[in-house]
Amino acid sequence: MPTLPINLGSYLVNLCSALLLLTCFAIVAQRRLMACVDLFALQSVFLAVTATLVAYLTGIHHIYLAAVLTIAIKAVILPRILKKIVRQLNVQREVSMYVNIPTGLLICGGLVILAFFITQPIVHLGFLLTQDSLAIALAIVLIGFFIMVSRLKAVTQVIGFLVIENGLFLAATAAAYGMPLIVELGIFFDVLVAGLIVGIYTHQIQEAFGSVDTSRLKALKE
Amino acid sequence: MPDQNHVSLMILAAPVVAATLSLFIKNIRMLHGLNVMTMVILVVADLVLWATVVREESFTALGNVVVIDSLSIFILSIVVGIGFSCSIYLWSYFDDEAIQELVQPRRLWTFFPLYHVFLFAMIVATLANSLGVQWVAIEATTLATVFLITFFKSRESLEAGWKYLILCSVGIALALFGTVLTYYSSIRVLGEENAALNLTSLLPVAAQMDGHVLKLAFIFILVGYGTKIGLVPMHTWLPEAYSEAPAPVTAMLAGVLETVAVYAVLRSKSIVDQAVSPGFTGNLLILIGLVSFGTAALFILIQRDYKRLFAYSSIEHMGLAMLGFGIGGPLGTFGGLWHLLNHALAKSLGFFAVGNIFRRYRTRQIHEVQGMAKVQPITAIAFLVGGLALVGMPPFSLFNSELLMITSLAQMTFQFDSFHLGRFLTITVSHEIRSLGIIMVIVLLSVALFGGFIYRLTGMVWGTPPAGIRQGEAWHIGQLPLALSVFALVWMGFYLPAQIETLLQRATDVVIGR
Repeated sequence: MPTLPINLGSYLVNLCSALLLLTCFAIVAQRRLMACVDLFALQSVFLAVTATLVAYLTGIHHIYLAAVLTIAIKAVILPRILKKIVRQLNVQREVSMYVNIPTGLLICGGLVILAFFITQPIVHLGFLLTQDSLAIALAIVLIGFFIMVSRLKAVTQVIGFLVIENGLFLAATAAAYGMPLIVELGIFFDVLVAGLIVGIYTHQIQEAFGSVDTSRLKALKE
Repeated sequence: MPDQNHVSLMILAAPVVAATLSLFIKNIRMLHGLNVMTMVILVVADLVLWATVVREESFTALGNVVVIDSLSIFILSIVVGIGFSCSIYLWSYFDDEAIQELVQPRRLWTFFPLYHVFLFAMIVATLANSLGVQWVAIEATTLATVFLITFFKSRESLEAGWKYLILCSVGIALALFGTVLTYYSSIRVLGEENAALNLTSLLPVAAQMDGHVLKLAFIFILVGYGTKIGLVPMHTWLPEAYSEAPAPVTAMLAGVLETVAVYAVLRSKSIVDQAVSPGFTGNLLILIGLVSFGTAALFILIQRDYKRLFAYSSIEHMGLAMLGFGIGGPLGTFGGLWHLLNHALAKSLGFFAVGNIFRRYRTRQIHEVQGMAKVQPITAIAFLVGGLALVGMPPFSLFNSELLMITSLAQMTFQFDSFHLGRFLTITVSHEIRSLGIIMVIVLLSVALFGGFIYRLTGMVWGTPPAGIRQGEAWHIGQLPLALSVFALVWMGFYLPAQIETLLQRATDVVIGR
């Protein structure tokens, strides 16, 4: 049972959610693929800490399990797979982007405001402990989208997708103190399989095209 | 009478067992045999469950994990029925000749396990009580089908598969956000418990849930599952994936997977409609349905590739079905559900025929295919029937369901007269003008579509066959599903069997929450 006062707990949860958001901005500002992967792993660690805090403060035990799985899958296994891909393909830097970094950061700032605006009418329904996290979670999802559409490399697109997943997980933990256990396990399983498929897939693309720059995938344009 | 727990377990276990066994079987005939046998088991189990639903309206099984009512059994029957005909078609598609030419035999051993996992995921999505489990299953269908789409490993198919994987995963992630929001509002009412995402606990209390959260949730769910359905503007993966995948896989994607995704939207709609007025979900569905229908109809006119032609026709028909559900009420919903069944039949028929054509002509260009009537008489008939049915010609049953939906549109009384565009601009339209306007747009586009489609089909069926092509077509077991689909389309065009009609009626009641 919680020994921390609820106010302090709420501050800590908000702090961790804010750190998650901060790593999103760092990913947007980073060109080096290896660093992007590391930042994603760091974000997953913050996510696990947030989940542990919520689990500790509310006394709901299955969130601990989710935190452990987050560390295992999103902070260890998936970054390893991604790094292996980066090394195999020998692409270290994102040279060209659709949007340059300063503009990208500005757009992301706008997305955060948008997220707070959208969730404003519904946050009062949430729990006191995690009231601001829902808006932050939506902001992370939106930034994940932005990463996916603004980058060309397959690896960064996948990181964008995983950032979206992190945002969703934060939303589930923050807004509803975690989804039912079976659903959470299913989601982790899906994410893990998706990671493995991407691993095999980039290999096949590399064999067929000699590059993983998705902007070369143009043969099917209307 | 067999216990419904056992039957539910059987329908879930059969594809899993088949997937595991296919990993170890190296003989191609045995793989086909196992596949068809599994489908027979599924069909029998489905019929038993159907009979149970007729007796008991709805029931839960396996300790509340599975819920089966008229709506889910209707969708399940489409999944299993089309899956069955697809499995028989596979027998001729991957026959000895094709295996020598197209794929190394070794590769088939990845095909069948994935095919069964795909089926399993769709069955879970249809039967799951928890909306969360339903989401997990629909995401699993994406993952299972990626390597089925890229099965031929050409550059184009790899590209199509990547687009499919990324777009559908992201779309589906949005649907998860919608599901989280649904949970967020349901635990206010039900309290923190595992059952708070279960349909059986949500539906009775849906009226007490917070309308604003549910509205937001529905938008996310519609966009998310709409990506899987292929609604415009989330459709860009669809023509590529459909045209690059092997024909039986495309038939499953177009006939079944879209239907399952629509089912997920309908479940969500039936919850949201209780909390806010049905006009909200209805207007959204009408809008997205019209946009999809219109866009697809225009794109059909410029296609040169016959597989893409049928792919765009999928978008068009899903748009129509969404329109039906958006109009709502008993008539529109009935029409929409029936349209799902008809579309699944006609589209799988179309893609079976397309698969046969490609194997003989070795091209996907419309202008290079001529004289099918001489080269492949059986396929030509199936192709023509599929095409005519898809443009909504009588006497095929798509005509009836489309007519039903348009009738319901004419009868509809819109709840809102005014659109608010921004804060200052308000457009007010009277009921009659608006519904008549929509009908006019639909009819005009249908005429254009009819012309475009028929022009291309007739060009392919008649004319002189290209030199050096083998003429004539022998009867093969793989043509059985073509014959069955043609029969079903014509039969239901004249007479809807009482059993199916009752099921449709009751499924309609489930959707509109009566």
